[in-house]
Amino acid sequence: MKHYLDLIKISAGQRRKENRMTRLCIVLAVFLVTVIFGMADMEMRAQRIQARKTDGSWHAAFQVEAEQGALLSARPEIRRAARYGTLNYHLKDGYLLQGTETGVCGFDLEFQEMIPDARVSEGTFPETDREAVVNENIRARLGTGVGDTVELTTPGGDTKQYLVTGIAENTALTAELDAFCIFLNVDGFLDLYGEEDSADQELLYYVEFRPFCRIQQAIDEISRQFALSPEQVRQNAKVLMLMFQSGDLYLMQLYLVAAVLAVLVVIAGVFMITASMNSQVAERTGFFGLLRCLGATRRQVIRFVRREALSLCRTAIPVGAASGVLVVWVLCGMLRLMSPGLFEGLPVFGVSWPGIAAGAVVGLITVLLAAGAPARRASRVSPLTAVSGNAGTVHAAKKTAGTRFFRIETALGIHHALGSRKNFFLVTGSFAFSIILFLAFSTAIDFMHHAITPLRPSAPDLYLLREDQTNEIPLGLAEELRGYPGVKRVFGRSHAEFPLEGEGQNVIVLSYDIQQFQWAEGALIEGSLQDAVDGKGVVSVYRDGNMSAPGSFVKILMGEQEQEVPVTGVLGDVPYNYGLDADTGQVTDLVICSEEMFQRLTGETGYAVLDVQLRRDATDAQVQEIRRAMEEACGSDVVYSDRRIRNQETRGASYSMSLFLYGFLAVIALIGFFNIINNIAMSVSARMREYGAMRAVGMSTAQVTRMVVSETMTCTVFGVLFGCMAGIPLNRLLFRWLVTSRWGDAWSVPGRELMVIVTVMAVSACLASAGPVKQVRKLPINLLTK
Amino acid sequence: MEILKVENLSKVYGTGEARVEALKKVSFSMEKGQFGAVVGASGSGKSTLLNCIGGLDEADGGKVFLSGRDLFAMGENERTVFRRRNIGFIFQAFHLIPELDVEQNMIFPLLLDGKKPDQERVEELLEVLGLKDRRRHLPGQLSGGQQQRAAIGRALITHPALVLADEPTGNLDSRSSQDVMDLLCRASRHYQQTVLMITHNRNLTASADRVFQVMDGRLKELGGGQNETLS
Ligand SMILES: Nc1ncnc2c1ncn2[C@@H]1O[C@H](COP(=O)(O)OP(=O)(O)OP(=O)(O)O)[C@@H](O)[C@H]1O
Ligand SMILES: [Mg+2]
Repeated sequence: MKHYLDLIKISAGQRRKENRMTRLCIVLAVFLVTVIFGMADMEMRAQRIQARKTDGSWHAAFQVEAEQGALLSARPEIRRAARYGTLNYHLKDGYLLQGTETGVCGFDLEFQEMIPDARVSEGTFPETDREAVVNENIRARLGTGVGDTVELTTPGGDTKQYLVTGIAENTALTAELDAFCIFLNVDGFLDLYGEEDSADQELLYYVEFRPFCRIQQAIDEISRQFALSPEQVRQNAKVLMLMFQSGDLYLMQLYLVAAVLAVLVVIAGVFMITASMNSQVAERTGFFGLLRCLGATRRQVIRFVRREALSLCRTAIPVGAASGVLVVWVLCGMLRLMSPGLFEGLPVFGVSWPGIAAGAVVGLITVLLAAGAPARRASRVSPLTAVSGNAGTVHAAKKTAGTRFFRIETALGIHHALGSRKNFFLVTGSFAFSIILFLAFSTAIDFMHHAITPLRPSAPDLYLLREDQTNEIPLGLAEELRGYPGVKRVFGRSHAEFPLEGEGQNVIVLSYDIQQFQWAEGALIEGSLQDAVDGKGVVSVYRDGNMSAPGSFVKILMGEQEQEVPVTGVLGDVPYNYGLDADTGQVTDLVICSEEMFQRLTGETGYAVLDVQLRRDATDAQVQEIRRAMEEACGSDVVYSDRRIRNQETRGASYSMSLFLYGFLAVIALIGFFNIINNIAMSVSARMREYGAMRAVGMSTAQVTRMVVSETMTCTVFGVLFGCMAGIPLNRLLFRWLVTSRWGDAWSVPGRELMVIVTVMAVSACLASAGPVKQVRKLPINLLTK
Repeated sequence: MEILKVENLSKVYGTGEARVEALKKVSFSMEKGQFGAVVGASGSGKSTLLNCIGGLDEADGGKVFLSGRDLFAMGENERTVFRRRNIGFIFQAFHLIPELDVEQNMIFPLLLDGKKPDQERVEELLEVLGLKDRRRHLPGQLSGGQQQRAAIGRALITHPALVLADEPTGNLDSRSSQDVMDLLCRASRHYQQTVLMITHNRNLTASADRVFQVMDGRLKELGGGQNETLS
């Protein structure tokens, strides 16, 4: 022993039990922060992976002329630049490959580095202007392979021959549109483009800036240098945002909110550690008095307490960080499981160094902040307490317990809770904090629900559509496809439009099968779906105030004859936009009926649309099989669409974000839970002697239990009250900031969230009393005499 | 040489009806190497006197000079440092730090002062205290008498100008009490150590150079221990 602070090390082993609470608090704080930052980091990585996959890694694109382009590429802050241009993007300009409209993209080889969709999966990128890469659709449908020649007809009637040098995978868009697309190099593209005279098709220069470059500034400079208008500059908003390089003010607000939340978490940690250390100090006044008596100055006592707290960090921080990392692994594993293709780039056992660093730093800061008050408190212990025998065992009661309204034990419990003002505010404050935190963060969930539309359960992976909307897809096809390997569900919709009686308006009639009716259940506003399923009537859809109430009739003119169909229910929303004209804003009424009723009404059998949902393990070969069967049954008058890639993207985005946000919310609820348990356990252990004495003077265990419970409840009730008082306005503020300003939704009292957190608090309060109560039961009655 | 000088020391606890005048203008002084004993009824103000002299408690009036320095003229911090260098405390309940062994407990005040313990001095004290073979023992593994001897070692290690002891034998049997008394006496003679001790046991005042009696907050000198037993 060389220094008085060595006492900490020496006594640590024996004080392990006493330090357990404080250590647990530190572990928890570090754990939470590691998880939060680790999750944020992983979410960022996941988003970045996804953004790169879907949007590419380019930062900006400029529409400049050739000489300017050369200057642009030569700028020092630019890491890569590549030219890119498209022709026939909308597939109606008359560039035909064996009679099919074909999109043409021309770009430099470097472009592939910035947009993964431009990669060539088989073969090589064209080197001459007579070479081309064809996409998977062309290969599958025309049987074109590397080394073959394809012939492209231009709108002007010319034909160009290209040697196929490679095959490219489908993109979300080409799969969805079932589109043909070829890649040329820039020379080939310009050669083709030369025959096109519309000037709006020009080459864009896609660029990627060097790391650590201030991108917004660079973009401004470039725009100024080449006098570009804002329409001539494109930014990859998502990627820039994820690099913190976006100038989007709204996103800055989002970061700000995240920072505020992180600070709130730190404050919660400080609350908990302070409370637990305070009770430690209170239990050890005798010891601190002795130190003072032996000649320790106040400063030395403060240092002692601080150092002791920090020494707890040595084990607590690694444990907290490790468990945090573990949880992040589990969450990432879940993400990969839920959306396998998309998050392959996400490491299974990825260690988030920012997360660990944040956890460790926040742990230390929290402990230092938290140790301040208890350390000062310890330093104020008078050396006299060592001399007088009864140091710290008697609580200095300032008021007597009011026993008028409650039973004595309840009154005592309440008195214990309210007895010390400072302690009361500390405890209820920390309870309130969990609520505030929860309410504040739950706005982020509202935000998410608006920002990201999750994949509907009814979303098809493949669909077949009659463009003329006639019901000519045979019913038998659905039945046949159900037997195919890889198919999960097949369902179709028939479509018909009739004039309504009188008014000169039309109504669209759509058929659902039972499955589709089930999915629609959530959207039912009024009436019953079952009647419609049973064929007793139709369900109308609420649109722009147009609706027919249940019980009314829709009068349809079928040719000459009029049919009256009863309305049995109203749906608030359907996931289809039949009858909505986006250009004119005109709305046609929509009713939905069962398939059997549709046949009865129209006499038609067959679908206008056929949706296929695939099993998760469906292979491309199986999809090709399905497609072949579809083509056999329907010929070529149908549009085929493969939405698998798009669906996966949608699903991935909402999975990763909701996992992150709900995970965070769960973490906050956990803070509240541990906080209550911790506080109650502490206050009970501080009063153990008192309880022993009360048992000695004849209090029954049931009474002691009631006393502990009433103390817990008092703290919890006031905590909830304070929490709501501060949390609801904060919730409103954040909601306005995040949601109202963007989507205009009005704020309402977050009843569900309140219920969740209050339930969590109540449950933890019950659990919190259970532990100590058991301890009290086992308490020997003669504790006082020892 | 005058080591301790107390002038008109007063101390009042509480106000109104609860007002207690614990010390009423107490004055006395002690020479270097003297061994003083304080006796008096319970509640007469002995502990209060000792705490004020030791700078643990603030007096309400009067002055205490230790080695010529006015204790109450110092600031809180200065007084603490002065105290740890010049005053050693011995308590009725020993108050050893339970996690530290005998030797560590003894050197602890030096460590607080940022000093390196003088190993020779430690050995010598252990020898005198008869704790040589117990140096690595924790307080919990010692008898009451041994614990109190370790506490005496802790009080003596800094060569304090004054050792204050509040009923050091209060928790001990007569045999251990005599050991402790002998030790304090020897320290007083051998190291020229000034000691002021409170005791309830009149028999133990025999070896004291001076005996003070506190009665209702007033101090009266009864003379030397020998005189006391004679009268
Ligand atoms: N903190 C305090 N607040 C109020 N009164 C006090 C306080 N400490 C001591 N007193 C009172 O001062 C008087 C002297 O107390 P003191 O402890 O000095 O007595 P004592 O002589 O040491 O008694 P004992 O032999 O029982 O230890 C007593 O009447 C006591 O009630
Ligand atoms: Mg006393």
